[in-house]
Amino acid sequence: MSDFWFEFVEITQTIGDGLFFGATYALIGIGFTLIFGAMGKLNMTYAAASLAGAYAGLAAFAFVNAPAPVVFLISALASGLLGFIVYATCFRFIPINNHLAALMASIGGLFFIDEIVVHATDGSPLTFPALFDDVMFDLGPYGVRGDLLFVLAMCVAGTVALLYVLYRTRLGLATRAVSQQDVAAQLCGIDVHRTNATTFVLAGLLGGIAGAMTASAVGVLSPLITVPLTVKGLIVTVIGGLGSIPGAIAAGLLVGGFENVFLYFRGVNERDMYVLLLLFVFLVFRPQGIFGSRTDRD
Amino acid sequence: MSYYLGLAQLIGIHTLLGLSAYVLMLTGQLSLGQAGFFAIGAYCAGILTVIFELHIVPALFVAAFMAAFFAFLVGFPALRVKGLMLVVATIAFGEFVRLFFFNLSWRVPRDGIHVGPDSTNGFREIRYFVANGWSAWEITAFVWIFVILVMAALWWMDRSRAGAVLRAVGEDELAAQSVGLSLTAVKVTAMTVGGFIAGIGGGLYAHTATYVDHLTFTVLLATFAISYPILGGLSSVFGTLVAVIFIQGVLVEGLRFMGDWRSIVFGLLIVVAMNLKPSGLFDARTAYVLRRTIGLGGGEKPRA
Repeated sequence: MSDFWFEFVEITQTIGDGLFFGATYALIGIGFTLIFGAMGKLNMTYAAASLAGAYAGLAAFAFVNAPAPVVFLISALASGLLGFIVYATCFRFIPINNHLAALMASIGGLFFIDEIVVHATDGSPLTFPALFDDVMFDLGPYGVRGDLLFVLAMCVAGTVALLYVLYRTRLGLATRAVSQQDVAAQLCGIDVHRTNATTFVLAGLLGGIAGAMTASAVGVLSPLITVPLTVKGLIVTVIGGLGSIPGAIAAGLLVGGFENVFLYFRGVNERDMYVLLLLFVFLVFRPQGIFGSRTDRD
Repeated sequence: MSYYLGLAQLIGIHTLLGLSAYVLMLTGQLSLGQAGFFAIGAYCAGILTVIFELHIVPALFVAAFMAAFFAFLVGFPALRVKGLMLVVATIAFGEFVRLFFFNLSWRVPRDGIHVGPDSTNGFREIRYFVANGWSAWEITAFVWIFVILVMAALWWMDRSRAGAVLRAVGEDELAAQSVGLSLTAVKVTAMTVGGFIAGIGGGLYAHTATYVDHLTFTVLLATFAISYPILGGLSSVFGTLVAVIFIQGVLVEGLRFMGDWRSIVFGLLIVVAMNLKPSGLFDARTAYVLRRTIGLGGGEKPRA
């Protein structure tokens, strides 16, 4: 009995930790889905730019010993700036209906950003300052890691801020108008390019926070995280339903919990394989995602 | 000399990789999973010649059929969704294959040592060519026989009904469907053929390199695979060959003095190329202008 109880606590604890950590995937997924919703395009640089933002924050920490809030702020700002640069270089001048060219350009951007990070850091992992990692809340048999709680809190704050901007401001109205019908929006006097650029910056700000959160929860920042984070962000986007923000949040938490279960049972080397299989399960049985609509937009 | 022969082998193998993406791109689909099929081909062919001590030709064919089979399997769920979703699905598949071989350990004793895939340490003993005393010339010729066969087959296909069907789906899915083509059948077939070609390429790669590990088959390799036909355009198979020679022969080798910075240039090059020529560097218009300039007529002037 006590053995079983111990096992049960251990597994639920694992799932709980995963759900908390999944908040970072949710943020990355929101970024992908936001840009997809606005332009119907995939921005493959997104995770790389988010981590590059975290690197900028880390640089501030390393060189001027900036306090944690400043590190996060700089990460967000740097990633937001990168979002603008990516829009200007990979999306702005490519014909609006040429999805594959924009996709290719952003893949090029992904490798470009990634390689710059690899060269700037000599490819070696750097330790990222953890926040509240010595705090531990006890809830009966369970413990809640302070740093993961902080991750979740920041993600919730970021999402709420984003939803506020999208649904309560003129800027958000313009963004949603462009995403629904860009020609009609243009006829109403909305500058499509400016609105799209703003969406990229918004997504970038969110991504910078996500990047810094991921780094502080893992404890290290390494160029090796880029591609796995990109893939997981994309998986979260697809599982949640392309263009759906609630979907991205739900899918992010789902993927986080799911991968931690497999981390517990099968070890770190096999963990990601099951996450990828989860995507195929969704593609077969529910290709439109959790919250996606039935219409298959391309 | 052996340096140039090695380069010729690499160009041949990458041409196969590019052509595997080319077939699927004719139907208007973009796959970032070609590195996965390439990996399946590489590991299968390696396992067959090393562990089962098979001759290389049957090994290559079995490997190619294996890759084609997985392409077929992936094709169904992946092609239910289209366009950008397919890109995500194929990236996921490629990463899945990479992680599978990252975890695969299958060591058997041969002549006193253990051989076979050794998970993180890679698959080191694919020494078929060396063990059978093939010279560098023979290996290069062997690689290029496959390249020429595949290119000839695709060139012929392009002139047959099959090519017209693929291009019809690529040009306008709705119109293709209206004349009675099954989109799923056409796309899955293209995916399977692409998997087969990538499998041959992977098998040849494993044997010329004698060593493969999971880091060979990353998203970067998949990006190379699609950037060849994108750069070379879809007007003919030779575009892909020209693009491979340009990237692998001129860019990668020519920029060797830059050391590690080459990869940065690769990313930047894609961004610049896509901004200047969103539909490929050698698109129909450019091909027309080129043919006119070198005095080959040029046929019908393409619409702008």
